[in-house]
Amino acid sequence: MAQDMALVELLYSLADDDFILAYRGSEWLGLAPHIEEDVAYSSINQDMMGHAVKFYSILEELGEGKADELSHMRAPERFRNAVLLEEKNGEGTYLEQPQFDWAFAVVRNYFYSIHKKIRMQSLKQSSYEPLTDSASKVLIELQYHLMHWETWFKQLMSSTDEAKKRMTAAIERCWNEMDGVLTLGPFAEEMTSKGYIASEEEMRKKWLVHMEKTFEQVGAPLPGGLGMTKGNGRQGEHTGDLHQALSTLSEVYETNPAAGW
Amino acid sequence: MSQKDGFYSVYEVFSKKTDKSPLQHQFSLLAPNEEMALIMARENFFRREPVADIWVAKRDNIRMTTQEEREMLKRLNNKEYRETKGYGYLKKKWRNYQQEQFTEQSLLSNSKGGKE
Amino acid sequence: MTIEKSFDQLTEEEKYEHFLNRIDAGEKIEPNDWMPDDYRQSLIRLISMHGISEIMGALPEKEWVPKAPSLHRKLAIMAKVQDEMGHGQLLLRVAEDLMEPLGMNREDIMQNLFSGKLKFHNVFHMKAPTWGDAGIIAWLVDGAAIISQSMMLDSSYGPYARALKRICAEEVFHAQHGESIIMALAEGTPEQRELLQDALNRWWTALLMFFGPKSKENASTSHVDKNIRYKIREKTNEELRQEFFTKYVPRIWSLGLTIPDETIHFDEEQALWVYQDPDWIEFKEIVTGNGPQSKERLELRRISYDNNAWVREALNPISKAV
Repeated sequence: MAQDMALVELLYSLADDDFILAYRGSEWLGLAPHIEEDVAYSSINQDMMGHAVKFYSILEELGEGKADELSHMRAPERFRNAVLLEEKNGEGTYLEQPQFDWAFAVVRNYFYSIHKKIRMQSLKQSSYEPLTDSASKVLIELQYHLMHWETWFKQLMSSTDEAKKRMTAAIERCWNEMDGVLTLGPFAEEMTSKGYIASEEEMRKKWLVHMEKTFEQVGAPLPGGLGMTKGNGRQGEHTGDLHQALSTLSEVYETNPAAGW
Repeated sequence: MSQKDGFYSVYEVFSKKTDKSPLQHQFSLLAPNEEMALIMARENFFRREPVADIWVAKRDNIRMTTQEEREMLKRLNNKEYRETKGYGYLKKKWRNYQQEQFTEQSLLSNSKGGKE
Repeated sequence: MTIEKSFDQLTEEEKYEHFLNRIDAGEKIEPNDWMPDDYRQSLIRLISMHGISEIMGALPEKEWVPKAPSLHRKLAIMAKVQDEMGHGQLLLRVAEDLMEPLGMNREDIMQNLFSGKLKFHNVFHMKAPTWGDAGIIAWLVDGAAIISQSMMLDSSYGPYARALKRICAEEVFHAQHGESIIMALAEGTPEQRELLQDALNRWWTALLMFFGPKSKENASTSHVDKNIRYKIREKTNEELRQEFFTKYVPRIWSLGLTIPDETIHFDEEQALWVYQDPDWIEFKEIVTGNGPQSKERLELRRISYDNNAWVREALNPISKAV
């Protein structure tokens, strides 16, 4: 039987989104603004990578290859994550001169978590059973992620002028790329018509409703139209940041993918 | 409170392992406010063990005892009158009436017709 | 007949005697209890160093978090390094409560680290250039840490003992995480075995140094004696090092690895391990911030602290009130 492309593409976007954002989060380990927060943030990254493993495992069962290979050895153009999620945490690297931007971390994770909840709630009704199972489990852990990022988002938005300035810049940056997260990609119609997931429009609308509420609560204006300026990751368009991420994360594995590690 | 203390306020963290467990003190953490204390408490102290509820309280708001005050916690061992061991003689008394003294178990269980 | 005085009325000598009696009776000292200054100072020195070592100790392993060679390894090493940060949190809280009466808090701890006043363990000044190092750190550095931490589980200072209890429970996971990494390398390809052997060669001396110098002529052993009297710790540096050998040398050999010390052997007569003593002058150089990676690690910590200062500033209730 030929592979159901809509299903496979959907699974890749789910797995890659969580995997790449968790990878970026893992670079923050040890460098967060506060020791207690470092511990909390790391749990969220572990959870997210754990969710990625669930989706990669479904792909593995569908014959796409081993989960470790899928995550460590695919070429960048075969990744289906949104570009926003692959972007570097800031200037420098996690090893040298990490000028990481906490406002970007908070906004990116907050925006993403809200969308992830909407997406998982939809997948809970999916016509593809392995997805409904995974989505129900992911939703359990997502509650904490949402509470965590919402607390950070709202508190920083209601604090000093400097924080508000940094947050506003991060919001603008994420808003300009957020459509890349919200889009389902070239197979969108088929994904929806086969009942795998709700339509892109419906989920985008829900996300915007949530944003309107949050922005109203913190007394900030909602930015204008959503954008996708640096490419559509759902069809394999990526930035140099993904290349850098993949070569770092596979550095050891690729020395001998056949070996046991 | 000086400027440098503001972000680093001490919060005490309490938790319940299950719905039926009593609240127990776990540890303390530094946080700028109670919402932050709460979201950090979960992962700092309950990454592995199950937890059914978490409370956080700013340490400044907790009245603790001093070493000297803890002297007031000691008491003499002469309070049999408010413990069951002060009433052991009743067992024999009831026997005189061909009755068994109620045990703790039989007193606390819901009686169903009087017979075992 | 004398009327018994309440605690506040005791002279300093009487309080000191009362304190020693409590310690000898196995009672635990709590943060607000009366304690002699040198007890407080010993605890602050020991626990802030221990705590900040956990925080600095996250950095060499952290280098391998994003690069860990599978999904499972990535998750496990993330959890492990997270625990190190968590252990730092527990220990720094204990140290901070001891420092509070002196008007100091975490800000001071961080500043003392940056100024070089607060030292961290020698092992975390070393480079960790390969995945093999991640394995050796988790297996042997953590193995050494378990030995020195578990001897203080019954420490006379209650909060330290309680923090260590939490820490040691997690160290069991760390030990197995480390064993799992090195086992895969030891049973792997010749290149993987070489990776492991190279890492062991690199870390051996640092591991010996970890427990500190043995003889009394060497610096800071007077602290050790005092800490033993105050029941903060139970064993000397050399006793701990010997325990480490007994536990790990046979295991290292059983995997077919070579210890980079031809002289090491167990002397039946003395019932002691005989080994090549590391260079303690070099040790001193390392812990005073002149180790191979000292500057870079401190720099990383400082950048992240400074770079995020605006966050702490933003949520400081005092800044908001202004």
